[in-house]
Amino acid sequence: MSGEKPLDFTKEITSKLGGETIARCYQCGTCASTCPVTRTTERYNPRQIIRLALLGQRDEVLKGDSIWLCASCYNCQERCPQKVEIADVIYALRNIAIREGNIPAIYTEFANGLMSEGRLAPISKFLEKKRADYGLPPLKPTGVEAIKKILAATGFDKIMFKKEGTPQ
Amino acid sequence: MTARKGSSKKSKGKGKGRKRRGAKVKAMEEAKVGVFLSDCGGQIAKILDFEALTNFVKTVQGVTFVARANEFWRGEGLKIIVDAVKTKKVNRVVVAEAVPKISEVAIAKAVEEAGLNPHLVEVLDLKDHCALPHRDTPKEATEKAKAMLLAAIEKARLLEPIEKTEFPAVKSVLVIGGGIAGMQAAEDLADMGFQVHLIEKEPFLGGLAAKAVRFFPTDDCAICIQSPATDLKTVTQTSRKCVYRSGFSEIPNLNILTNAKVVKVEGGPGNFKVTVERKPRYVDEKKCVACDLCTSVCPVEVPDEYNAKLTKRKAIYINKPLVYPPAYAIDAKVCKFHECAKCVEVCPTKAVNLDQKTEHVTLNVGGIIVATGFREYDPSVIKEYHYGEYPDVITHLELARMLDAFGPTNGVPVRPSDRKPAKRIVFVQCVGSRDRRWNPYCSSICCMISLKHATLIKEAYPDTDVTICYIDIRTTGREHEYYYERAREMGVKFVKGRPSEIIHDPATNTLIVEVEDELLRRLMELEADLVVLAAAMVPSEDTKELAQILGVELDQDGFFKEYNAKLRPTETKRRGIFICGGAVFPKDAPTTSLHAHSAAVKAAKFLMNGKITKDLKVAVVNEDYCGNCQFCPVTCPYGAITLEPKGDGHFVAKVSELICEGCGVCVGTCPVGAIELRHLKPSQISAQMKALLSVNGTSKPLVLAFSCSECGHAAVDSSGMAMMSYPANVRVLRVPCTGVIQVQHILEAFKAGAQGVMVVGCKPDGCHYEVGSQKAQKKVEMAKMLLQAYGIEPERLEMFNLVFIEGDKFAEAAKAMTERVERLGLLQLA
Repeated sequence: MSGEKPLDFTKEITSKLGGETIARCYQCGTCASTCPVTRTTERYNPRQIIRLALLGQRDEVLKGDSIWLCASCYNCQERCPQKVEIADVIYALRNIAIREGNIPAIYTEFANGLMSEGRLAPISKFLEKKRADYGLPPLKPTGVEAIKKILAATGFDKIMFKKEGTPQ
Repeated sequence: MTARKGSSKKSKGKGKGRKRRGAKVKAMEEAKVGVFLSDCGGQIAKILDFEALTNFVKTVQGVTFVARANEFWRGEGLKIIVDAVKTKKVNRVVVAEAVPKISEVAIAKAVEEAGLNPHLVEVLDLKDHCALPHRDTPKEATEKAKAMLLAAIEKARLLEPIEKTEFPAVKSVLVIGGGIAGMQAAEDLADMGFQVHLIEKEPFLGGLAAKAVRFFPTDDCAICIQSPATDLKTVTQTSRKCVYRSGFSEIPNLNILTNAKVVKVEGGPGNFKVTVERKPRYVDEKKCVACDLCTSVCPVEVPDEYNAKLTKRKAIYINKPLVYPPAYAIDAKVCKFHECAKCVEVCPTKAVNLDQKTEHVTLNVGGIIVATGFREYDPSVIKEYHYGEYPDVITHLELARMLDAFGPTNGVPVRPSDRKPAKRIVFVQCVGSRDRRWNPYCSSICCMISLKHATLIKEAYPDTDVTICYIDIRTTGREHEYYYERAREMGVKFVKGRPSEIIHDPATNTLIVEVEDELLRRLMELEADLVVLAAAMVPSEDTKELAQILGVELDQDGFFKEYNAKLRPTETKRRGIFICGGAVFPKDAPTTSLHAHSAAVKAAKFLMNGKITKDLKVAVVNEDYCGNCQFCPVTCPYGAITLEPKGDGHFVAKVSELICEGCGVCVGTCPVGAIELRHLKPSQISAQMKALLSVNGTSKPLVLAFSCSECGHAAVDSSGMAMMSYPANVRVLRVPCTGVIQVQHILEAFKAGAQGVMVVGCKPDGCHYEVGSQKAQKKVEMAKMLLQAYGIEPERLEMFNLVFIEGDKFAEAAKAMTERVERLGLLQLA
């Protein structure tokens, strides 16, 4: 843990929307034991993410893929005896990661779709063919200009499409 | 002891005389002030110019005697004061002396013995409040010392005698709750000769302990108490006895009422009138011989709550085997009464009486001890554990009944669903406690209960697979860690992790406990025949209702609130009402016993003299100004003030002299100045304030610091004691509690010449009078708004919350305040 400042990272998280309750965690493991993702893969354990975060392991938390595996079922949050808003803490961590350019490819793809076509899900060839079979008109980009305006006003475009790895 | 008795008689006799003399003083006799200047063995004379001080004091009006010595609070110095009172007609005593508080007490005592009312003494500390902190500017310090002396003299001239009063105290105590705490306290007090009434809401004594079977860490019987001193058959008084054979009921002065609860409390400390409602037992305790014939004919069967509903009992029943009184009782909720009446026919001693009615008994007691204990939380609200839904998920109390050889399963842990012995048992810790959703606190005893049950099972049935799932194992008591060690040696398994769900597999009638073993970082599915929930311990039912009847507070967790956990345990804010045992917080048996002894001693100390003697340092109401507002009754931290009808349709405040603690929070609250303290009149505050600000002698702007007599003043003391320094323009005016300060006082200080005002009180949650410091903070905020409206910078006023060890912070604050006021420039009042 040398060189890291544990308290600072905790403070950073608690100052973010959704991250306020993280310091209440007393590591009982109810979240891990109730988590459907933890059941299927060892790559994700909410208790461990919180532990790492509280110990100031900033890079390990933000640069790994773990925080992106949460399925947002909120089971953990429902059952946490300390009322740590675990799923929301994960969101807070994702927000910090995104601002620093630690964005998994799939999210960049979503963002691209939104900016260019006004849709999260891209229009695939397969989808176009299916629509034609049913006699539906082809899909066109929709409301792109309006969406761009909104995303520019909220600063989303800057966060999403800035140069990778340069924290703001 | 005898000497003290003698002196108190003496002072009482003189007290009466003084009362008349006191009246004369007010009307005719002029104040003759004796001023006694201690130079602390010459130490502070190196800083302060004592000659100048002596000459100054001699010129002050009312001063008739001045003396200087090394010290005045003991020895030769004290003799000088006593002599001045006795022979020089000095009737007001002003002493400049160090050794804060101790000197004040010693001098007051000596003055009283010399025949002068001890409240006609004013002590100031020139060493710690002046010489030491201003040692670098001796000339300025001397000028400040003059102001301090003048303030003390001016106040002394206005001091009035305060008499002692006696209130009757009935040497009788009501103990509410017949568990181990209540029984212990009742026994202590009865042995000391007090009349004790012990009431229990259930038909039998014993409380929760009776169900617990064994206690950790000794594994001995739960229901075992110290032998009463009156037990003639016991060789030594250290002997222990089962409660049923302790002769408990035969202790002289002990009146036991079962099936009883408090419904009304009137009167006050030392003299309560308590109405107790006694539900009918329908069996005459004096006639019943416990022959058991009645249960053999009773046709009504219900689940036995005493045995965790694992067995059934009749409508007429007794808890076996550890009970007092040894007499049957009828469950009124299920009995068919005269429709059946078979028990009446069969009873050989005619003990059954189905026509018994609810009785109301009035008890006159001096004190009340609440020992209503705690209960096990119902964990069925925690849906993921399925308590109440899966029969094989049980609580500790239910397991305790199983482990009782006299219990429903004769000591065998079974799974209730099919009554087969449980071979795999999982304990789940912290169920409903340490859980913000239900009870945020740690119930403190559940870890040890689990260890106890786990080892008892392992001892009797070593093949049983026992696992304890825990978040933290807390074994903080004496010998508790050895208990944990023993459990590990016996093969109890420990899994660090809180289960997230208990699942029932109907095919195998097995429970599956889902938990992450954190140390292995592996998800586990523990199979179990029986899952035992270490449910939280929560306040007994009716705790809220009883608190309301008694007029005492509950804490954030719903338990009875101790006045101060460190300094006044087992006391409540209401004098004469004490609390102990699990009613205060969940406790193990040894701690409960200790706590009960403490409450008994407190009650005995309060009532032992048959009277309560008190200096009347209380608030008094000026009825001409007072009327109809609710401020002081609501604000008084002790409930000492009530509104009384005055006859003409108006209501005026009435202060109970017995209950009032003299803090003055009411004074600070009254919007019309209709209430004042006998020991700090408005005229005295004004005189002190003017005097303190009459001489500056420094180049800096005057700052007045109001300080409370408790932590605030202690911080001022300690800043001097620790040789901190701050400028001499800061002057301290002591009040009993900062709660006494009115907005008007603050404005008055500015009018009298203060350029800045500090209010120094206890920490907001550490006020010696509960709310005073918080009230002062509000007053300061209000005054700041007013100052702004008047065009005065609100920064000239600030509140500080300090304690003794923060003397450095007082010095810093005084310096900072001075600098701030200097920056703001001279305050020009029109």
